Amino acid sequence: MALVQTQSLTKRYGNITALENLSLELEPGIIGLVGANGAGKSTFLKLLLGLIAPTSGSATLLGFDVATQGPELRQFVGYMPEHDALPVDMTATDFVGHMARISGLPRTSARERTAETLRHVGLFEERYREMRGYSTGMKQRVKLAQALVHDPRLMLLDEPTNGLDPAGRDEMLDLVRRTGREFGIAIIMASHLLGEIERVCDYLVVIDGGRLVQSAPIGDFTGSTHVLAVEVEMGAERLAERLTACGLIVKHEGRMLLVGLEDTRPYDLIRDSIVDLDLALVRVEQRRQSLEDLFRPAEETERAAS
Amino acid sequence: MQPAERAAGNIYDLGYRNYEGERLGRPYAFYSLYVHTLRSAFGLGRRTSSKIMPFALAIIAFIPAVIQLGIAALVPTDFDVYKAENYYSYIQTVLVLFCAAVAPELVCRDQANRTLSLYFSRSLKRRDYALARFAGLATALLVLTLGPQALLFTGNVVASSDGLGYLGDNAVDILPIVLSGVAIAVLMGSISLAIASQSSRRAYAAVTIIALFLLAGAIIEVTLNVSDGSLARNMIFLSPLHVMIGMTRWLFDVPMDGELALADRPRASYALAVVVIAGLALWVLDLRYGRIQA
Repeated sequence: MALVQTQSLTKRYGNITALENLSLELEPGIIGLVGANGAGKSTFLKLLLGLIAPTSGSATLLGFDVATQGPELRQFVGYMPEHDALPVDMTATDFVGHMARISGLPRTSARERTAETLRHVGLFEERYREMRGYSTGMKQRVKLAQALVHDPRLMLLDEPTNGLDPAGRDEMLDLVRRTGREFGIAIIMASHLLGEIERVCDYLVVIDGGRLVQSAPIGDFTGSTHVLAVEVEMGAERLAERLTACGLIVKHEGRMLLVGLEDTRPYDLIRDSIVDLDLALVRVEQRRQSLEDLFRPAEETERAAS
Repeated sequence: MQPAERAAGNIYDLGYRNYEGERLGRPYAFYSLYVHTLRSAFGLGRRTSSKIMPFALAIIAFIPAVIQLGIAALVPTDFDVYKAENYYSYIQTVLVLFCAAVAPELVCRDQANRTLSLYFSRSLKRRDYALARFAGLATALLVLTLGPQALLFTGNVVASSDGLGYLGDNAVDILPIVLSGVAIAVLMGSISLAIASQSSRRAYAAVTIIALFLLAGAIIEVTLNVSDGSLARNMIFLSPLHVMIGMTRWLFDVPMDGELALADRPRASYALAVVVIAGLALWVLDLRYGRIQA
């Protein structure tokens, strides 16, 4: 059964279209939702939660219709918003426990799971303090904990690493990945940072200007390219001339030579040329496409590939 | 097949476990928010400073009842300084201050902290949230309206030279006491929440609540003392405090006094006004939460 199904989901605010005709079907897993700021990521998540109503179209999560079965559906969904959402005058324990009960967990279970979940996200003694004194990292952890405390089938995370320092970022991403992989909780994570998505997710949805650009497993985006990168100690120029003379397409990129790879012929040619020219070879590797390539201007991508 | 079936997952000892227990859904979510609201109204689960105002006001609301019982204990005759039908006239300012202190605490914080998106992304509907908050505040107000009345009544029964006789004579008051207490809690609770929910700033909300109740009362008082036109006399329905006292006097079947006597409206019209005003306030509250951004 599909995790998420949307049909021509559209959201307009007056003349501004936040989301245009979005139809997609997602299977359970860790799904990255990528797009620039203002691309419609948060709007998409809010539509899935029923926090805002679509202008047209419909969405189904976990087999529940968002518009008509919201309360039933949301027992099984956790949401971590992008913005601050914590009452500063409560302790993390009180607040997460309260949210667990609002999610339908009986008192005793709520208390147990609050303790477990806060430990899971890495909050220990400080959970008995009022949240007003919390660092951004601790607040993000509490926000994650409240989304997780009722053991949802699906978590929607909106920019979970917002405002975190590099170490906090790593820990948060690790936490998200572990939660998704080890506990079988499907996750949709919105981020404008491709590096994060690449590290955590196994499926990718790209939206831009409110439109769906692509939806595919992450492997499809980061597969091998038809480019060989060659690095030699000295004499890159001579090697480039020699390879060009042999009919290969060669480009410079810093210390590297990028060689077009239409068949397996370049491997042998590079080896032989380096031996003949008596150069010191540092490495030869097939270029992997990074997600960043997707968002480079088209002509630049073309140049890099050719 | 269950609509929500999870992918199989390995469980490691990381403190986290999957939950297989029962999920009680929307009714329990409503109940939990109601209980939480009632507790928050008295600052329970919050720092000590949050408890001072509500508890102090609640205690003040009980003072007339305590004084009456003290007198009854000292003076053996059945001598009523504070009667049930007059009780809300004594404590109406305390009730207003309680609303101004508590209602913003209950709803403004959720807007200022943007906690609403966490509530609305759970089993609660927007209307459930509004209704649970209202029910919690109205229950807290009941403590201040019915509480002293119950103390006064049982105290009088106990202190009276003829306890059973007193009970027999005054049993007719029990229904008006309960009805007026509930009606006042509903009226004041709905009005204050409708006002407080419009803003995320607690101070603004508190000032507006006090202004609405007390200023409206003062304006009507002045107006009725300088004019006896039908417009002036009908304006009394715009003052919630006058309306609730009028309704109370109708319920206890005692003569109207003060501005209520000057206005000289049909006695039952105050009960109707309570229903209309509370209905309007709840409608505004529902409208607000239907539209509020989360």
